[in-house]
Amino acid sequence: MQLRSELLSKLLAAAVAAALHLVATAQDGTVVYQGARILPGGKPAIEQGVLIVSGGKILAVGGPATKIPDGAKVVDVAGRTITPGLIDASFAGAIGDEDANEQSSEVTPHLRAFDSIDLQRDAVRNARAAGVTTVHAMPGTSNVIGGLGCVVKTRDTKDGPTLLADEVSLRITMGSDPSRGNRAIRGGRVDSMYYRRPTTRMGVVWEVRKAFYDAKEALERTAAAGPQGGDAATEVLTKVLQGKLVAYTTARSEQDIRTALRLAEEFGYKTVLDEAQDAHVAIDEIAAAKVTVLLGAPSAENVVGRGGGDGSQPRFHTVALLAQRNVPFVVTTGTNAAALDLVREAMFAVRFGLTAEQALDAVTIRPAQLLGIDQRVGSLAAGKDADFVVWSHDPLDPAAVAESVHIDGISVLASR
Amino acid sequence: MRDRSVQLLRAAAFAALSAVPALAQAPADRLADRLVKARQIVVAPDTVLTGSSVLVRAGKIAYVGDEIPAEARARAKVVDYGDAMLVPGFVLAYSTLGQDGDLAENAYPFTPDLLVAEGVDLWHDELERLPRSGVASAAVAPSERQLAGGIAALVKPGADGGSVAASDLFLGLSLTRNARSQDRPPTSLMGALDMARQAFGDAKTGVRTGADLAVLRQTLEGSRKVFVRADARREIVAALDLAKEFGLQVVVVGGTEAGELVERLAAQKVGLVLGTLTPEAKLENLELPARLAKAGVPFAFAGQPEQLRLTAALAVKHGLDRRLALAALTRTPATLLGLQNEIGSLRQGASADFVVFSGDPIDLGSRHLATWIGGERRSGADAAGGL
Repeated sequence: MQLRSELLSKLLAAAVAAALHLVATAQDGTVVYQGARILPGGKPAIEQGVLIVSGGKILAVGGPATKIPDGAKVVDVAGRTITPGLIDASFAGAIGDEDANEQSSEVTPHLRAFDSIDLQRDAVRNARAAGVTTVHAMPGTSNVIGGLGCVVKTRDTKDGPTLLADEVSLRITMGSDPSRGNRAIRGGRVDSMYYRRPTTRMGVVWEVRKAFYDAKEALERTAAAGPQGGDAATEVLTKVLQGKLVAYTTARSEQDIRTALRLAEEFGYKTVLDEAQDAHVAIDEIAAAKVTVLLGAPSAENVVGRGGGDGSQPRFHTVALLAQRNVPFVVTTGTNAAALDLVREAMFAVRFGLTAEQALDAVTIRPAQLLGIDQRVGSLAAGKDADFVVWSHDPLDPAAVAESVHIDGISVLASR
Repeated sequence: MRDRSVQLLRAAAFAALSAVPALAQAPADRLADRLVKARQIVVAPDTVLTGSSVLVRAGKIAYVGDEIPAEARARAKVVDYGDAMLVPGFVLAYSTLGQDGDLAENAYPFTPDLLVAEGVDLWHDELERLPRSGVASAAVAPSERQLAGGIAALVKPGADGGSVAASDLFLGLSLTRNARSQDRPPTSLMGALDMARQAFGDAKTGVRTGADLAVLRQTLEGSRKVFVRADARREIVAALDLAKEFGLQVVVVGGTEAGELVERLAAQKVGLVLGTLTPEAKLENLELPARLAKAGVPFAFAGQPEQLRLTAALAVKHGLDRRLALAALTRTPATLLGLQNEIGSLRQGASADFVVFSGDPIDLGSRHLATWIGGERRSGADAAGGL
């Protein structure tokens, strides 16, 4: 009986998706989605709302009295909920494991995650189907300084991924990930590029300190004697020192969180704390440093990190504690293989103490603001990109499924 | 010094070996003009002569059909293939002829100034077998395990060992997974692209010089083409981006996932060298040749020589025009290599490379009768009744 109703609801969902697709493929025409509860992001909910989309952009969002343009196609979405397309501010699924890390050196600040992004991957398709329309992709965690992150939409085009922001972050990784695989030289021949520092947690910090120390010296030389014509790596580190680029420091355990904050203070650069699972232990320092925390997978009970030896103790209430202490935070899936769909992670955050509004904002408008793309995505307002999701139920309801997902007005669920 | 003496030894051995058949036959007979007749002669995919002949002189096509002077016709030795069909010798626009291991200077990923011509084994079995599949010329590329492997050579099968007909074809790049290694840089696609951009960038600005960058400068100036191995869609997009960024004349080799990039390939006027097809290939790959043809993207078939005709037949089965299928084995690969005047057609002055079949080669029931390369028969019978 239950199976049957499940089947029925799936069929219904498929039929609705197909209908929406038919309408949405009339790309240039104006399409009106009428009757849904609209959660625009950062603003109160609109009951029986009207969302008008044209040419890949949002024309208008409003209540039932919103004027509907003549000749527009009207799609009845009564009983559904519409949200902005979700934004995952740390998404590892867009790059295969090997391509995420350039292992030939431990410090590769100038390498661009964008060059390795592959939106044909299953993980991207799954995220897209679950309402994620924009992701921040960073290089992997195998290098101490991995390289530059970028923000792309999850829909592939014939010209490749759509870039919303290039080179928005510099990934730095604390802890055991970068030292894994490296070997100490204990006599014998050096015949592998993996015979190198770091092999310890102190070695990881040394690599960061050395890189920024050198970059700082380069800056001082430039200040004294004019431009010196440095290499691409130094140029990137210099930008971080000058506050033109934000570091995203992956620091899971309490010790790593404190080190990440100390390094940022020492060199005076701005950082975001990524995957700070132990944030609840160092909450005072985090609040005092006024950094944003990316909370990878609030639902996770396990410790992330390849080594599994980072000693962090995830606590479900961390997310609520951050809200309570007014620490800016964003919910992500990060590198945790056990992470659920982003919308389910937001749901878990509600279960452990966030309000529904806070949770939804943490996967829409907050990450958009953090990444500096809130002029285009992260909320539903006139003039923004038509990236939105039509949910069967309230998105934080465990039964919610994305019935249709739209990027630049194009339905991406039914397109394959 | 040692290399030099080995080369000399080789040259001496080659001279001695090639002297033997020449002595056995009367030299005058071997060098005589040949008048090759067949019921159908495909000069080029859209130029087919019926009941005609070509005159072969000194390894080249001297005259075609009605243009053959009566006097030359009378003096030439006649080779009559009766009801058969004669097509230009097939051209492989990209291959490694089973020599991948010897065509990768492994410790360094970026070696654009290496010459395949200086490493290719001209006595390799695979080269010797090419005439049986109708292949008269093969561009041998450096290994796809190298990000920039070196410069490809044109190799032709011969009676005893092959020969290098051109040693300065395209620069071979590879963006496939095989070019990334966990033992040396680059280990990732972003690392590979960074390395390529740095090198082409250096060549462009001239901050660094050297033999390797001189080769890259030729590609920037357009005097040398770049063949890029790329299969995944992301890799093909990266190849197209590089082409755009540096103004390179790129040909994409492999192109397994080119299906959704057809428009962009057409817009950038980038050609493709496709791998051979089998009946169990994915439908999107079977249909790709027809889609490319429709969009005006030039493409050639390469891969397993034994499967070239099967590939052409499968592409025709899935919508490709017959003439274009034959072009993808002959004229198009020659054009992609920039050798359309020398190989891939039976126009006047081209190398006398042709294949004789009992019927249309795209029809798999047609029997392979003979392959001639440089005016000499390299496999099969000397006339229709010879078998």
